[in-house]
Amino acid sequence: MQLMSNSSNNLKGSSDRVVTSNLSKTQTQSIPRKMNNKTDLAQLTLWLEQIAKDRNKQAFTEVFKFFAPKITNICSHKFNNPQLAGEVLQETMTNVWRKAHLFHSDKGAPTTWVYSIMRNVSFDILRKIKSKKEDNLSDDIWPLIDSDNSSEEGYDDHLENQHLMAHIDKLPEAQQQVIRGVYFMEMSQEQLSKQLNIPLGTIKSRLRLGLAKLKQHMGADHD
Amino acid sequence: MIKHHPSEELLNEYVEASLPVSMSAAVAMHIEMCGECAAKVATLTDQKAEACFEGIHSKFTEHDDIADVVDFNFDNMINAITVNDAIDEVKSTPKTTINIKGKSVVLPRAISNMPTSSWSNIGKLSRSRIELDEGKVRASLLNIEPGGSVPEHTHKGFELTLLLSGSFKDDMGEYVAGDFIVLDGEHTHQPVSDDGCLCFTVSDDAQHFTQGINKLLNPIAQFLY
Repeated sequence: MQLMSNSSNNLKGSSDRVVTSNLSKTQTQSIPRKMNNKTDLAQLTLWLEQIAKDRNKQAFTEVFKFFAPKITNICSHKFNNPQLAGEVLQETMTNVWRKAHLFHSDKGAPTTWVYSIMRNVSFDILRKIKSKKEDNLSDDIWPLIDSDNSSEEGYDDHLENQHLMAHIDKLPEAQQQVIRGVYFMEMSQEQLSKQLNIPLGTIKSRLRLGLAKLKQHMGADHD
Repeated sequence: MIKHHPSEELLNEYVEASLPVSMSAAVAMHIEMCGECAAKVATLTDQKAEACFEGIHSKFTEHDDIADVVDFNFDNMINAITVNDAIDEVKSTPKTTINIKGKSVVLPRAISNMPTSSWSNIGKLSRSRIELDEGKVRASLLNIEPGGSVPEHTHKGFELTLLLSGSFKDDMGEYVAGDFIVLDGEHTHQPVSDDGCLCFTVSDDAQHFTQGINKLLNPIAQFLY
């Protein structure tokens, strides 16, 4: 392992790729094929959003068709072990299916998001094999979600809680129902969807609307 | 201001996850404190992703080619994955706090779930091993109390010091939280901390004390490694 790179010769970039960030940006943007990729990225983003919102299997199939052959190829070369490649593929795509709601297109490209998942999955699986450790450290070392999300922590304070309850009472009934179910009865959105017999997408949008309104109300109060 | 950063090569290896776990964790903690390197890592990750999924290799990835290499039934896999509609909720990771010499310190996320040994002490130095089982590569938390110092030493292998809090200085200058300092056998130094500090260290061999009477301290080298 070389720890100190004392000259740029050490950089591993392929011949057509300049690693220095500023240069590469202008270079890649001037290449026409980038236009096609841009279309792909928009389409991939759309599919991921459909997976997140509607648990849309068709959209997932499309995303799977785009990534699976590439992931299989990359992992087959990297691990030289088809079974392992299959494991990484399955685990990566399972994460895409289950975590699509955590993908935000304003924070990066869908390809970067999937790459990060694949890298993390590979790391945890390799560590399990090499060191017999099932500590799954990857998400701590390469966080997938921006850490600023962690600032949205629950209200522990009792007074704040009462304050919050008062505001929830002011919301439209439909939104109240969803917020109470998720935050006070600790039901999953899926359970709630079944219990109320409302599509999951509707649950999600009611929750979003309700929370946005709450935020607005509470913010206005603090001013 | 942070003056010492990981090399471009290290950042690249971090993005690829090809470093020892302890070194990846060190880079992760550095970029949590250093916006400049965080931006570089974001760019490198984009480039890596682009090379994987949009680059020249894509042309080898038609279904037909894959079938020769691996025999996966993609349809079965898709069905197996989507049969369960559940989603992964975000777990807010509970913060890990350590207590050392009356100080209470919240550990950076990268190492918050790693098992650590209890503290052992020599003078003003305290060390807690981070148990990652990486063979010769060992990681530790090293606490130096105010006025403490590490006797002048050199390194047989490499030594990484990531300053987590506080400050220390050696003959090359003063270091602040976030500084990422890599030294190898060519360097000797004698870190002194006037106000105390907590560091994350990684090394792959024992240190070697060089100066006169301090040679008698070479057992400390084992302590620090």
